[in-house]
Amino acid sequence: MDVFTSFYGLIPVTIAQSLIVSFVVLGVMLPFRILNFPDLTSEGAFPLGGCVCGTLISIGINPFLACFIALLCGFAAGCTTAFIHLRFKINTLLAGILVMTMLYSINLRIMGRTNIPLFTYDTVFTILAGPSANFPWTKILIVGLLIALVVGAMLYFFMSEKGTAMRAVGASPDMAEAQGINVGTATIIGVGAASALSATGGSIMVQTQGFADVNMGFGILINGLAALIIGEAITGRQTIFRQVLAPVIGSLVYYQLISFCLTLGLAPADLKFATGAFVLLMLALPNLRRSSGGIQIREKIRE
Amino acid sequence: MTKDMLSVTGGTKIFYGGTLDERRALDGLDVSLKPGDFCIVIGSNGAGKSSFLNAVSGKLPLDSGRITIDGQDVTRLNAHRRAQFIARVFQDPMIGTAPTMTIGENMLLAELRGKPRGFSYGLSAARRQKYSQQLAELNLGLEKRLDMQVGLLSGGQRQSLSLVMAVSTRPKLLLLDEHTAALDPRTAKLVMDTTVRAVEALQLTTLMVTHNMEHAIRYGNRIIMMDAGKVLVEIGQEEKNGITVADLIERFHTKSDAIALQGA
Repeated sequence: MDVFTSFYGLIPVTIAQSLIVSFVVLGVMLPFRILNFPDLTSEGAFPLGGCVCGTLISIGINPFLACFIALLCGFAAGCTTAFIHLRFKINTLLAGILVMTMLYSINLRIMGRTNIPLFTYDTVFTILAGPSANFPWTKILIVGLLIALVVGAMLYFFMSEKGTAMRAVGASPDMAEAQGINVGTATIIGVGAASALSATGGSIMVQTQGFADVNMGFGILINGLAALIIGEAITGRQTIFRQVLAPVIGSLVYYQLISFCLTLGLAPADLKFATGAFVLLMLALPNLRRSSGGIQIREKIRE
Repeated sequence: MTKDMLSVTGGTKIFYGGTLDERRALDGLDVSLKPGDFCIVIGSNGAGKSSFLNAVSGKLPLDSGRITIDGQDVTRLNAHRRAQFIARVFQDPMIGTAPTMTIGENMLLAELRGKPRGFSYGLSAARRQKYSQQLAELNLGLEKRLDMQVGLLSGGQRQSLSLVMAVSTRPKLLLLDEHTAALDPRTAKLVMDTTVRAVEALQLTTLMVTHNMEHAIRYGNRIIMMDAGKVLVEIGQEEKNGITVADLIERFHTKSDAIALQGA
């Protein structure tokens, strides 16, 4: 049972990783599910957060402040994508790809090189936990608390008067406008907040892995989407509570599955193909069983 | 003389201006409504009825002309800013409500139409009770299903909900855009009856677009017949009593033909 002991040993590390990626999955869920705005900015906002945070820490800025600045940078990136879509009527996906591509150069410019090691610097984790900062359970505790806080805040917001209005923008833009909601502003803030979440994920990731790299998080969006789909299959989407919980649950399950597949002998090189095929299958499934009855709520994607 | 609740003067909207495809959706439209008027708008396809409603709601900004609501100039206000004065029921039941949100949340969105929205919890117990009472008047049992997703309701139930959402805030102006056209006759009558009850009880100033000539005659106190982006015929309260569908169609044709001849 060699396979199982090595998988078992990896569980805590994987949990820590999946909690960090939960930020990105939340950042994928918000535009996709709440705003009906398929958005790819996360793929660029995640490394942006990492590069900004890594650079700032390496020049001696307080790690907490570095995380916050990374968050703001992510917010700006998301706002840019939404603005490009709203102002120039460019398809949301294309707007996301444009921003993501341009961010690659920006990330390189910010760091001035492709990689910054952070092993010798203080991070949020070393400040909070001292010498035990590198234990997986320390990371799980700190990131877990943070994610719980974020999920709680999102839940409260989406049930508040303002948050209900933001959800209406995704559910029916015409109706939202007729109810006096500024659809443009809500979209920009929502997509901005989503990228801010992804950037926060990136800033925490560089501090746990000990380096910032311009190529980090390649394919993170598809991972996030896969995690989201798994999460939604488990929790459902009927209420806002389930919808906000799905990313975290999905991330936890998805990364354990990946870890299990890897210990079983799946070549890491094949991982992205497997993930992509899985997402494709899940998205195609509703069309494969078209004839099945039941009540389906029509989903409209914004042009 | 009482002040106009709605006044449109010289309302003009041109699509594809300056090209061969130029089309005047609204062409110097003049309409005014007194408080409490229930005005029916009829006209053939492309006459400008929907453009008229969209211009009033702010969805379609005018090229020239002026719109005032209760004396206030709203010509330059965006649709979401005008929502503080206007409530609207759309033709498509899918558009007028948020399908993936619950009945209670939809009522909340309507209650705060045009008002500032804060960070406080939305569906408080007091609000739930208020919404239950408002929905109970429909006799559809919706008051017991505040937490149900609106997408699961039938078209008629959704239009009825839309209507309650629209009138519950006592808007200065109610826009009904063929709001019974997508429903079967029985449901359409039910929704129409509810509409009339609400409009009369709350004395709402109302604009209703319809293709149904019988509705045009039976409901409201005025009829506006549109053609080519203008008001072609206006029928007031006295004249409206005793008019028949045949009369209406007759007058529409004589006028259109006369205009066609003038143009020739």
